[in-house]
Amino acid sequence: MPCKHVIGQGPELARALAAWRSVAPAAALELRPLELDPAAGQAALDGLEGLDDEGASAFVALDARFLNGMRLDLMASLRLRGIAMPALVEPGALVAAGVRMDDNCWIGAGAIIQHGSRIGFNTVIGAGAIVGSGVTVGHSAWIDEGVVIGRGARIGAQVTLGLGVIVGHGRQIGKLCIVDKAGRIEQDIAAKTFIHATHAQPIVIIGA
Amino acid sequence: MRSRMPPQAYIDEAWFARERELLFKPLWQFIGLKVMLDKHNAFITRTLFGIPVVVQNFHGELRAFENICPHRQNPIQVQPHGVRPLFCGYHGWSFDREGATRIPHEDALYRFPQEERACIHLRRFALEVVGNLVFVCLAETPLPIRQQFGAAMLASLTASSLAYDSEVIMTTYEGHFNWKLAYENLRDGHHPRYLHARSLYQDVKFEASISEEGVAGLRRLQETGIGERTRALGLMRSFSGGGRDAPMAAPPDEPYHAQVERYRDQDWYYNWLAFPNLHIASANGGHAFIIEHHIPVAAGRTDLVVYYLTAKKKQPYASSAAVLHAHMMGADVVMREDIEVMEQIQRTLHPSARSPHLGDYEFINASLELWYLDLMEEKFAL
Repeated sequence: MPCKHVIGQGPELARALAAWRSVAPAAALELRPLELDPAAGQAALDGLEGLDDEGASAFVALDARFLNGMRLDLMASLRLRGIAMPALVEPGALVAAGVRMDDNCWIGAGAIIQHGSRIGFNTVIGAGAIVGSGVTVGHSAWIDEGVVIGRGARIGAQVTLGLGVIVGHGRQIGKLCIVDKAGRIEQDIAAKTFIHATHAQPIVIIGA
Repeated sequence: MRSRMPPQAYIDEAWFARERELLFKPLWQFIGLKVMLDKHNAFITRTLFGIPVVVQNFHGELRAFENICPHRQNPIQVQPHGVRPLFCGYHGWSFDREGATRIPHEDALYRFPQEERACIHLRRFALEVVGNLVFVCLAETPLPIRQQFGAAMLASLTASSLAYDSEVIMTTYEGHFNWKLAYENLRDGHHPRYLHARSLYQDVKFEASISEEGVAGLRRLQETGIGERTRALGLMRSFSGGGRDAPMAAPPDEPYHAQVERYRDQDWYYNWLAFPNLHIASANGGHAFIIEHHIPVAAGRTDLVVYYLTAKKKQPYASSAAVLHAHMMGADVVMREDIEVMEQIQRTLHPSARSPHLGDYEFINASLELWYLDLMEEKFAL
């Protein structure tokens, strides 16, 4: 029987295990959970050494911390080993035909991904989120539950969109942004801009 | 000892207006980082004491001007920072490094008399670069910056700020408190034990103490008064200082530390206080720096502009943006603790509130208020 390593931490790991079980019954897929602390850096990655790769697939389930970088690092280290990391589409999600989804994507229950959209690898689309037609979401993004992305919008790599965010049609959000303040975005947002509900003004990164 | 500071110094708008004229306009003010102005046409804008200021890079040379087009008073640069020529988008007027104006369709549409045309240029302000820190002075005849901060402080600011990386994260907190509460708080080494017991004090054990020499100096000041301007400037320089403050509870150890050229090699909390309203610190032994600029907006309003940057990267690394964001959110905890208490105090103050009682450990703040009140009573001028 094929096996899948489900690797991550906390509620995301529990949710991913439940979701995989709902799409593949125990008789068809053996799930092997591995809880690790990504904050441990290299030590966490060393924890992958003992995994049995032979015929196995994997799925990484981590939250958006460190601008989604911890999930990206973990996924990248598994990818380098050549392990298959197919996307997870939970029951009840509606994904239009022809939508392209790359490795380790996670589409939550009840999410709607409309025609012509492309979801980059390692991106999480939360339950009930709506992604309009022709939307591009870069890799390793985190789209929270119920977020709405208008048609033709472009969401950069490692972007986090928090609860209550609505992205207007055709808007562009640069890479590594966080928008965690409920409301409708009707202007483009430059890369490395962080809009938090706790802050009166955006946090921005200048230079490189 | 009983403070002489009246509550009006914190809550009265007329007092605030006099303070702007007597204290802030004559002094050099931090306005931004040189690393944010590192290319031709890079600019930053700030409003300092009601005056909009733009600092613009002209082929490597930084110039400061009033950010108002002389035609219809439109702001010339409208973003807080960016890269764009000094050009007014309203009617196309543009400005060179001297502030001189090029006016499109000038002969056909404006026909300024020669005398009037000669007066049409931007108001320029004095500018000084100290390492990576850019200062401006709004006075017509600026005080030499060395007289404000002293040579040792300028050398320390230069050396430390040259360690800054070119990638900087920043934001502005809109504080509802008087700016002086911030400098008093920063010069009070006893509050971290209580206010920051669960945050900063976990990493750095600040220990307040009484300097008998400092207290004796304060007593002499109380007896003799501040005296004439030269002595007042000397005392003002003593309000600025920087360097090692307190040892860290444990050696700093974060994965990114190996990626940056650390400022010095000591496991200390570094602290620089540049009077009147700039604070720089490194809470992790020179691996990263926070810059807090308290811009007075009104008697009960202060914008706290916060910059965070690491020491120079040895080479670019993928997670540098995440490192900066994580640092900013970590610093946010400590800043909110300070802001909350300052806003509480501001809300409590009223015109007949009694003056506070200062302990001997607060001799610096006590000296500072003697100096400040003499300035406000115009016993000397800056």
